[in-house]
Amino acid sequence: MTDKKKTGHLNRRSALTLMGAAGLIGPSMIGRDRAFAANADATGQLVLAFSQEPTVFNPLMPHIEVDEGVYYAVFDTLFDFDPDGEFFPILAAEVPTVANGGISEDGLSWTLKLKEGVTWHDGTPFTAEDVKFSLELTMDPDFRSFRSTGYKFMRNITVVSDTELTWEMSEPFAPMAAILASTYIIPKHAFEGVEDKNSAPFNNAPIGTGPFKFKNRMAGDHIELEANADYHMDGPFLKTLIIKYVPDLNVMYTQFKSGDIDVIGLQYITPDHLAEAETLAGKVVTVAGTATFESIGLNMTRPQFQDLAVRKALYAALDKTSIIDALYYGVPTPTETYMPQQSYYYNDSLPKHEFDLEKAKALLDEAGWVPGSDGIREKDGVRLEFSNSTTAGNHLREQAQQFIQQTFAEIGVKMEIKNFPPAVMWGDYWMNSEFDSVVVGLNTLAGADPDTSDYFMSTMSPTLGGAGQNTFAYQNPKVDELLVKGASSFVPEERKAIYEEMQAVIREDLPFLPVFQYAVIKGWKDDVTGPAPNVNNRIDTWNVRDWKRG
Amino acid sequence: MLRYLASRLGQSLLLLLIVSFIGFAVLNLAPGGPLSQFALSPGMTQEQIDKIASQMGLDRPLPVQYLDWFSHLVVGDWGTSYRDGQPVLHVIGSHLFATLLLMGTATVISVSLGSTIGIFSALKRGSTFDYTMTVLAMIALSIPTFWFGLIAIYVFSLSLGWLPAGNMYTVGDGSVLDYLRHLIMPAVVLALVDVAIWSRYMRTSTLNVINQDFVRTARAKGLTRRRVLLKHVVGNSLVPMITLAGLQLPMVLGGALVTETVFTWPGMGRLFLDSLGYSDYPVVMGLLMASALLVLIGNLAADLIVALIDPRIRLD
Amino acid sequence: MTAATTDPAARRPFLKSRALRRFLNHRLALIGLVMVLTLTAACFIGPHLLPYDELYIDLRARFAPPGTGAHIFGTDPLGRDIAARLFHAGQISMAVGFAVMIIATGIGSVVGVVSGYYGGKVSAVLMRIVDAFLSFPSVFLLLALAAFIQPGPVMIALIISATSWMEVARIVEAEVKSLRNQDFVQAAHMLGLSKRWIMFRELLPNAIGPIIVAATLTVARAILLEAYISFLGYGIQPPLPSWGNMLNGAQQYLASAPWLAIVPGLAITIAVTGFNFIGDGLRDAFDSRTQGH
Repeated sequence: MTDKKKTGHLNRRSALTLMGAAGLIGPSMIGRDRAFAANADATGQLVLAFSQEPTVFNPLMPHIEVDEGVYYAVFDTLFDFDPDGEFFPILAAEVPTVANGGISEDGLSWTLKLKEGVTWHDGTPFTAEDVKFSLELTMDPDFRSFRSTGYKFMRNITVVSDTELTWEMSEPFAPMAAILASTYIIPKHAFEGVEDKNSAPFNNAPIGTGPFKFKNRMAGDHIELEANADYHMDGPFLKTLIIKYVPDLNVMYTQFKSGDIDVIGLQYITPDHLAEAETLAGKVVTVAGTATFESIGLNMTRPQFQDLAVRKALYAALDKTSIIDALYYGVPTPTETYMPQQSYYYNDSLPKHEFDLEKAKALLDEAGWVPGSDGIREKDGVRLEFSNSTTAGNHLREQAQQFIQQTFAEIGVKMEIKNFPPAVMWGDYWMNSEFDSVVVGLNTLAGADPDTSDYFMSTMSPTLGGAGQNTFAYQNPKVDELLVKGASSFVPEERKAIYEEMQAVIREDLPFLPVFQYAVIKGWKDDVTGPAPNVNNRIDTWNVRDWKRG
Repeated sequence: MLRYLASRLGQSLLLLLIVSFIGFAVLNLAPGGPLSQFALSPGMTQEQIDKIASQMGLDRPLPVQYLDWFSHLVVGDWGTSYRDGQPVLHVIGSHLFATLLLMGTATVISVSLGSTIGIFSALKRGSTFDYTMTVLAMIALSIPTFWFGLIAIYVFSLSLGWLPAGNMYTVGDGSVLDYLRHLIMPAVVLALVDVAIWSRYMRTSTLNVINQDFVRTARAKGLTRRRVLLKHVVGNSLVPMITLAGLQLPMVLGGALVTETVFTWPGMGRLFLDSLGYSDYPVVMGLLMASALLVLIGNLAADLIVALIDPRIRLD
Repeated sequence: MTAATTDPAARRPFLKSRALRRFLNHRLALIGLVMVLTLTAACFIGPHLLPYDELYIDLRARFAPPGTGAHIFGTDPLGRDIAARLFHAGQISMAVGFAVMIIATGIGSVVGVVSGYYGGKVSAVLMRIVDAFLSFPSVFLLLALAAFIQPGPVMIALIISATSWMEVARIVEAEVKSLRNQDFVQAAHMLGLSKRWIMFRELLPNAIGPIIVAATLTVARAILLEAYISFLGYGIQPPLPSWGNMLNGAQQYLASAPWLAIVPGLAITIAVTGFNFIGDGLRDAFDSRTQGH
């Protein structure tokens, strides 16, 4: 990962492969888990900067991406995904699979074995009770928990011994392992005697089992973490980790250049600085793909968008190359689907998009959309006129929007820009599909699991009475069927076929016009080792235990 | 005196009530809300958002929410932040120092520089100096503060590389010199408008004093111009300025907000913008109330100080 | 109704008044007037002289520095001509400024005249509301409002007005209070004129001087506020240009394309300075105490 620029397409098989296939924990994984290594040699300080401020320290409560930057340092999950999408154990002694007996053949009974000798930052031993507590707290109706997906199937969590617990699932649910991989375990003893768990003192003085202890927080400025000398895995190798909040991306970049910041984190280096950043002496700069894809989402309940010819024509009139190369400086990768190209489940044989205004016009002509007196096409009283919304203040996206507006106008389509502040944009306006069309960056996956039921299942649209996030109000029985099949299968090869077919169906239907898969420009000082892009994790610190200086 | 105080306090409390009502209505009647920031998190569903909303009491009717919030406020409980679960007063308190440091420094600059300019303008009324200062002051009042900040960053940070472009200190340094290096640009930018205002008012105030009898008497008694100036003119012209300082408070505070956004200064202005972005209503309301409170106290204190040092003014 | 007026100076048409003469003798005010008129002319005539459309995107021409070809002020990140955008933006920013002036002065005058005329409890309630609005730093209130509306020129003008009417209200209230008991008002009462007539036809015109001054300064203030909220991304939305939203995003390119920040900022400064100069001149013109200076 120390290449100057590495686009990070790690096209190895990934994700959940352990669920059914035996023995996939290769020898490469073993090194990660040299338990109880001597960690007395932690030295030095590292300043990691984020452009948002982490403020939520109970990882089971509603939080945003940047908060997870702290969680990976302070807490541990049971197991996690590496950059190849394969599991490695953290608090678990081994990742439960069908092969090792951790999961029953039918996927309904789970057994989890934990590491021995792990302690919390306050010295209390970590046991299976803590895991049970964390899982149950997530399901507690009085607790403001972040997630419910998957947990609602969980029954009878039983502690067998200090290092073993079991539970049942009410139905087989393949994405459960991926959900557990992003469930941080918190200490039961910190909540004893606490009446309202939503406002426990723990929430601002977190105690974890992770590589770093929470030392102090200077609100609005930084959080200081110190090495946990008793960490149960290799590392940490840094004595102090400072997570600095720099609210402006230019200031953040300037400080990275001047050396005040050692690692530039979330929101990263802006694309317009890439060329300059790559020439900086003493810095490693790398472009890494993320699991978020940018698309123009269409509200399928609108009459204009119900005609497939219109959606196809709009897609043909989308000058992706100019958007990516000029506005985004070539950083992101064009895509035809929601699935990240690093994923095992990515379908690489989808038809390629071609920018062709003549074809777009022809498609519309054929379908009977003819220009009216003002040049805007119409058919049966429906005009090809709609609004497009996104977060006000997102400069690059607003530039793209205006550019798209101009090309769409050339084929007789009127797109009006109607942006909102974030709190309005992503509130009911988005959830209840009150928009005509949006520009949105979505990550529809849970970790490396390919299930996207919440986004594409026809019953998941809030505006059609569903409870998920199918805000495009996309309805296709074939997709519904594939999603059900995919979520209940534990065989990766089988699932791959299912999800590849689904990507093909969606590519044909175009409920959203895929633009690109996001990539971010990460940077760190060249005496820092450890930071590694991981498309399966939302944030840089997923392996902060391995970070070193010198 | 006591009666005056009581009535002023009563009025101030009434004001706070109105402020709280306006603020609450503005925030809560608008679409969107604190949960929209989670909408794009992977795995988030409408069902889950509804559940969290109901746990946080966001699904209750607005008047109920207002009364609930207000009844806690009167007993000193300003609520807890939606973001970090900390008491609002604690959240505001932890950002107060940065803002006070910035405002304090800017005020010192503007009062000293503004007063000096004002006094000299008055003494040399009609001179080129006076005229130039008048024009400069009006231009200073017309420059957008945030833009001036941007230009300062362009010149002193990006082009010359003399000063840092943002933040309050360097992590791991934090010496006085380090603070000063970070402080100087935002403080000067914030002070610019106030220098203009102070110099204008100080000029008027000095002119009023110069023309008063006791100054003429003092001159007639044969005191040197310098002594008269220092002893009588400056002291007396400063008295009305104390009231001005009180009245200027909302402007300085508003200016600090603007300056903080440009220089990524970790103060209350930054907190306000962040809290707005996350729809952290308790903190936004807290900041609105705190700033109104600060302004009211400032005005009250200014009136009292003037009354104490100037025996001619009676407060009844 | 001039018969009932006791202060003939104030009722004399402005164009013939001494105030106008004093204004015309005020050097700064004239400079201000010239600045504002020039800028206005540029904003309305300029677009017709330029070979570019302010909305036309040309990605091949992005980030052209000032003086590149016919791009006198350069181009923006989408390759649009900055001069064309600047002039159109000026139309919008100044329209917002004037709209705010009209709305805010209107609200302020009504509140002030009602409060000053009735006095007592009505005045107490109205003036406490004025105080309440004044005790918010207006930027706080404005941003709180702007964060939750659909931003467009009309809404932006409305919310800026909502935070700009208090000065006028105070000025008018004080003025009306002092006039309330004068003879001409008593006379109007005796003539059986309606309260509304007295308030708006008799009292308000007498406060016209200070109102004009405040109104001029309100334009300056509104342009500044629009610029600030649009700069933060809460104001007028692209592709519609305003001076403020042209600055939005300029910070990002400060090192590589400083003209993006410099050009609109200068335009704002010139416009605001112009209005402030005029306001200053008007104040001197209407203020009899400064006579002879």
